[in-house]
Amino acid sequence: MISPAFQHPFGSTIDRTALSARLDAANSWEAKNRLLVQLARELPGFSDTERNEEHRVSGCESTVWVMTYWHDGRLQVAADSDSRVIKGLLTLLLTAYHDQAPDAIRQFDLEGWLAKLGLTRFLSASRGNGLRAIARKIVAAASDK
Amino acid sequence: MSLDISALRAEFPLFGHYPDLVYLDNAATTQKPRAVLDAERAFYETSNANVHRGPHRLSIKATEAFEAARAKVARFINAERDDEIVFTRGTTEAINLVAYSWGAANLKPGDEVLVTALEHHANIVPWQLIARQTGATVRAIPVLADGSLDRTAFLSLLQPQVKLVAITHASNAIGTRLPVLELTAAAHVAGARVLIDGAQVIAHESVDVQALGADFYVFSGHKMYGPTGIGVLYAKAELLAGMPPWQGGGEMIDRVSFDGTTFAEPPARFEAGTPAIAQAVGLAAAIDWLNTHDRAGLRQHEAHLCALLDAGLRKIAGVKVIGNTADRAPLRSLVFEHAHPFDVAQFLDARDIAVRVGRHCAEPLLESLGVTGTLRVSFAAYNTVRDVERFLAALAETLDDLA
Ligand SMILES: Cc1ncc(COP(=O)(O)O)c(C=O)c1O
Repeated sequence: MISPAFQHPFGSTIDRTALSARLDAANSWEAKNRLLVQLARELPGFSDTERNEEHRVSGCESTVWVMTYWHDGRLQVAADSDSRVIKGLLTLLLTAYHDQAPDAIRQFDLEGWLAKLGLTRFLSASRGNGLRAIARKIVAAASDK
Repeated sequence: MSLDISALRAEFPLFGHYPDLVYLDNAATTQKPRAVLDAERAFYETSNANVHRGPHRLSIKATEAFEAARAKVARFINAERDDEIVFTRGTTEAINLVAYSWGAANLKPGDEVLVTALEHHANIVPWQLIARQTGATVRAIPVLADGSLDRTAFLSLLQPQVKLVAITHASNAIGTRLPVLELTAAAHVAGARVLIDGAQVIAHESVDVQALGADFYVFSGHKMYGPTGIGVLYAKAELLAGMPPWQGGGEMIDRVSFDGTTFAEPPARFEAGTPAIAQAVGLAAAIDWLNTHDRAGLRQHEAHLCALLDAGLRKIAGVKVIGNTADRAPLRSLVFEHAHPFDVAQFLDARDIAVRVGRHCAEPLLESLGVTGTLRVSFAAYNTVRDVERFLAALAETLDDLA
């Protein structure tokens, strides 16, 4: 049984262009925060059993869980967080990495994209579970392939 | 109130650059008054040379400034002697020094180090490391649900095998002030030495190490309006005299030869290498700065801010304060019924309000209180009633947004 957590729109019906447009339109910190919280609502959460140690990416300020598997040569990614802002940011990662081929994942310039969106601060914010660390984990999964 | 807080705040150049900033992360580090910044700069401009070495006048001047800073620290905490003050990088290094010097020499298998469940990791991990090396054991005195220390448990844990009781003067995570005078007296009766971590107290109240009876007292300069990179280990002279060096290098030796090296007297024995000279001078300036203000008045001002905060928080639904002992450092740790502390902090940051979230390097404490993280508001002397009002208003709106 594939977890319902993989049934999210990010990377499939919502792509990078669509997400970029929404984030660009949010032109203050306050608006960006609100949008991230909004995006978090569109991402189904993990079940209690899926929020386990194996899926946990270590962090101090908030907790992030990630699951992956391969389907037809494409990486399937699901992610969740107890923080809604972080969960909103996870939708960006999913849009970049979910349902992508290994080459696309390895070549994607996450930092460049986040810089363009004005979200660089989240790369290393929240030590350990900054977006950079989470992305590294996903890319590592892709590199095994 | 007779204190002019806005004049005091004007002494901090950072607030000139960020006039709208509500800085409530003072337990992490405080801002620096101009007097401290000027003192460091003046040292480099007029006195800079290495200390304890040069046969030239500039080196003598630098050495005098460095040793004057030591003397100033000694008076500040009422040490009996100047050579009871060892300069370190901060609280963390001071505790590690005691662990690797005193601990390595005095702990043996079967011995115990008692810490409290309120400790910062800096007062837990060094003891675990030295315990692993010496065969000693580290035990934690539990806390009660209100964040106070379980004194009954303390007394029953205080057995003859306890060689050291290492306790915080106040918790950085929830503010609890420990009755260190009483705990120290009990530990001494039981034959144990006492280390007090003063990191969260030193900026807010006068400390008298002799009155406390502390064997070791440690703190960081950067949490008391001074520079980063400088901290203090106070230790009773008779203890320092018997402690072996923990780091080798220049400055700490008497004679070096391949047949055997002999070591300098304290405090030099514990200050290997070139010390943080300008930072020590900056710390002395921070002490002078504190002493030019009415410290009791500042403490009252900070308590007043806490009282306003507490009253305001009671009016906002879905907020819980973690730890509610009567006697707390000027900080509050909050959790929210419907919002994650990190999210709240993000929304506050968008309104120029700086707070800290997470486990505050006190994982065992938060775990025993059953919370995974909190949002911490911590005050310093330059915070204003307006800061509290802006925080409360922003918090109420943020919690509405996130509901
Ligand atoms: C109670 C306590 N102990 C120790 C430390 C460590 O201090 P430092 O990082 O300056 O060495 C801190 C600082 O966060 C603290 O609050």
